[in-house]
Amino acid sequence: VLSGLDALPPSINLWRHLTIWLGGMGIIVLMVAVLPMLGVGGRQLFKAEMPGPMKDSKLTPRITETAKALWLIYFGLTLACALAYRAAGMSWLDAVMHAFTTCALGGFSSHDDSMGFFNSPVIEGIAMTFMLLSGINYATHFLALRGINPAVYLRDPEVKFYLGVLLVSVVMLSGYLWYHGTYPSFWTALRYASFNTISVATTTGYATTDYYGHWPIFASLWMLFLCSFISCSGSTGGGIKMMRAIILYKVVYREFVKLLHPSATVHTKLADHPLPSQTLYSVLAFAFIYMCSIATLTLLMAASGQDLVTGFSAIVASINNTGPGLHKVGPATTFLVLTDFQTWLCTFAMLLGRLELFALLIVFTPAFWRK
Amino acid sequence: MTALNPAFAESYSWQGRLLPLIHVLGLVLMLFSATMTLPWAVSLWYGDEALLAYDEAVLATFGLGFVAWSSARRYQRDLRIRDGFLLVVLVWTVLPAVATLPFLLAMPEVGFTDAYFETASGLTTTGATVLSNLDKLPPSINFWRHELVWLGGMGIIVLFVAVLPLLGVGGRQMYKAETPGPMKEDKLTPRITETAKGLWKVYAGMTALCALGYWLAGMTGFDAVVHAFSTMGLGGFSTHDASFGHFNSPAIEFVAIVFMLLAGMNFATHFQALRLGSMAPYRADVEARWFLVVAGVSVLLITGFLLYHRVYPDFLTALRFSAFNVVSIATTTGYASTDYNLWPAFAPLWMLMLSSFATSSGSTGGGIKMVRALILYKLVYRELMQSMHPRAVLVEKLGGRPLPTQVLYSVLVFGFLYLSSLLVVTMVLAASGLDLVSAFTATVATLNNTGPGLNQVGPATTYEVLTDFQTWVCAFAMILGRLELFAVLLVFMPVFWRN
Repeated sequence: VLSGLDALPPSINLWRHLTIWLGGMGIIVLMVAVLPMLGVGGRQLFKAEMPGPMKDSKLTPRITETAKALWLIYFGLTLACALAYRAAGMSWLDAVMHAFTTCALGGFSSHDDSMGFFNSPVIEGIAMTFMLLSGINYATHFLALRGINPAVYLRDPEVKFYLGVLLVSVVMLSGYLWYHGTYPSFWTALRYASFNTISVATTTGYATTDYYGHWPIFASLWMLFLCSFISCSGSTGGGIKMMRAIILYKVVYREFVKLLHPSATVHTKLADHPLPSQTLYSVLAFAFIYMCSIATLTLLMAASGQDLVTGFSAIVASINNTGPGLHKVGPATTFLVLTDFQTWLCTFAMLLGRLELFALLIVFTPAFWRK
Repeated sequence: MTALNPAFAESYSWQGRLLPLIHVLGLVLMLFSATMTLPWAVSLWYGDEALLAYDEAVLATFGLGFVAWSSARRYQRDLRIRDGFLLVVLVWTVLPAVATLPFLLAMPEVGFTDAYFETASGLTTTGATVLSNLDKLPPSINFWRHELVWLGGMGIIVLFVAVLPLLGVGGRQMYKAETPGPMKEDKLTPRITETAKGLWKVYAGMTALCALGYWLAGMTGFDAVVHAFSTMGLGGFSTHDASFGHFNSPAIEFVAIVFMLLAGMNFATHFQALRLGSMAPYRADVEARWFLVVAGVSVLLITGFLLYHRVYPDFLTALRFSAFNVVSIATTTGYASTDYNLWPAFAPLWMLMLSSFATSSGSTGGGIKMVRALILYKLVYRELMQSMHPRAVLVEKLGGRPLPTQVLYSVLVFGFLYLSSLLVVTMVLAASGLDLVSAFTATVATLNNTGPGLNQVGPATTYEVLTDFQTWVCAFAMILGRLELFAVLLVFMPVFWRN
């Protein structure tokens, strides 16, 4: 919500970036160790893929163990990112701060113009690389590093789709922007499209240009759409996660096959593991609650007087933990325009999205407090 | 993919699959040509300028139907479940095309795209229009538009109560038990005829009452009949650009509200209540209860909201406008008595949200239907409970009966597909250059078969502003929503055409 970022005291800026980085650490543990135990929205699934011995009965020993290993990777990535930024020409302070927000997929910047301030293709390239890396499951990074075996990435069903969808989107949007004459050449279009698409899709939220103001509306919508599902489970990204998106696709396809052949038994598999029906169920319910949360919160924003585009995009950006929305809360502006009530709504949406809905919603059901 | 039942895997060639359906479609077309004689009679009565269009339109439709029927005659066979999907899609895409004939012949300046949108909007009971200056259209053309809505409503009732449950679309298996008549899974024909007759009688009777009500409240005879058509079909076409604002009569609005609410309930419930001569079936209908509760609460809520924002000076005026417009949009009718696009954004958004689920299954309304909304709510609640008590065995019930897992599953997939369709169609409209608010509300309004959206496609304007491409997308969305997604999507999937 702050503007005049360049003029803030460095310590305040550093604190803002540090909170993001710490948030990222918390998320990794939450996603990889705590939520699977609670069985939130199909996360039981990931239990089997966890490194280390599995003990369902006690949370503590596993969490500590897993967390240490994952944090080490997180720390290593951040360090590499900071060094790269420094080498590409940022000051030490900027490099460290931006490394914090890049690896946590946060998107704070110490400049009002965000990454547009640096206007350097090299820095953008580094940012893209580390955003892409942070959008991948940290457990996969861990397995790959432990065995020094890149084949692990190929075995991860999420990574394939994650990179595939991003690549297609970047090329498509570049072509779209070029076709609409937003940028004079395909290569310029590619530079802006790739950075901003990857940034928004991985739920980071850096911007190198005011994509809402300058681009046709479809491009911004597509980016917001991507951010709702593309980052992998166990990464620092938000949204419903690629894993659930893949499962949703399979479930829907199965339903169609069942319509044609009502008595057929159709098994749904992911990476050769059959998916238990309770998991499919949870994933469907999760996606549905997710979409309903967006609709409800958007209605509340509208009821409190915000226009539809701003209200909707602010909620999508908050619940996916992306950052900038469109229109009044677009990349060139801040959430400062919101009233107090609306600011609280967006804060609630951020928490809701970050804790993967269930944990927060359960607390609001009467049954949770009943003995 | 699993092994198929050998009975299904019989040699399915293109011809073997399509031609038996063409045969049936030919029969439907011949029947449909008979319905064009009504506007012909209207045209003769009023002596309007569209008179010369109907003889050609009737002949062409009948001829086309006859050729299809007779040429595919030797492929005639009993239809199976799989054929049902394709037949339903064929009927709902071919009939609008044929129904454009009177428009094309009488008003060639309209063009095929807009004419198709208009007829599809009628037959899917959407009620979105691309025509302006409605007051000056030839009466017979206006009659034809409204008759299409009414026919569409008839088609929908049969589709929902008799055909879709057999196909098992999106949890509709569960109504199988509730339909009257003997159950035969293997053959579609006998049950459909029987059920349909009973329901059509109710539908026709209510339409007559509605027309009478309008006439007594002060409409002209012609307006009363055509508005009764579009009210009972929950379509929302009007013969006036100002829709119900033209009459500016509380009595007429009241009649409309009553019949829109009636048409928003399951016609099987009406049928049972009339046969038994008691109100008990209404009390037993879970959907009807929630439908009325949601509509009532929303009317009061919006009334309060409008008063608070000082849109209307006093409670009764606010109540009048809120009641009519909220019921009209929530039941997916789409009449307007004022330009509610000018109300604060929350009110129209709330109305559009209602239109996506408020009406009952087996009514002429659109959207995901109240029964699915109830099941979805229960499912979500159960999922929350389940994550708190991982080992508990929770059983979902509706109206006292437990719901089988496969039904829950189908409903969830349906809800998800519905929301995804909203998203995809909105994106396509946005990509083609429409602003976000218009794109989103046009999608909601066409997918739910409501009619007017907001902003550029709001109640005070028409869908005329859309480009040809966008018009086709909206026509597609109407048919997609009307056929409850699955049938249309399935026909586009390779798995459907594979042996």
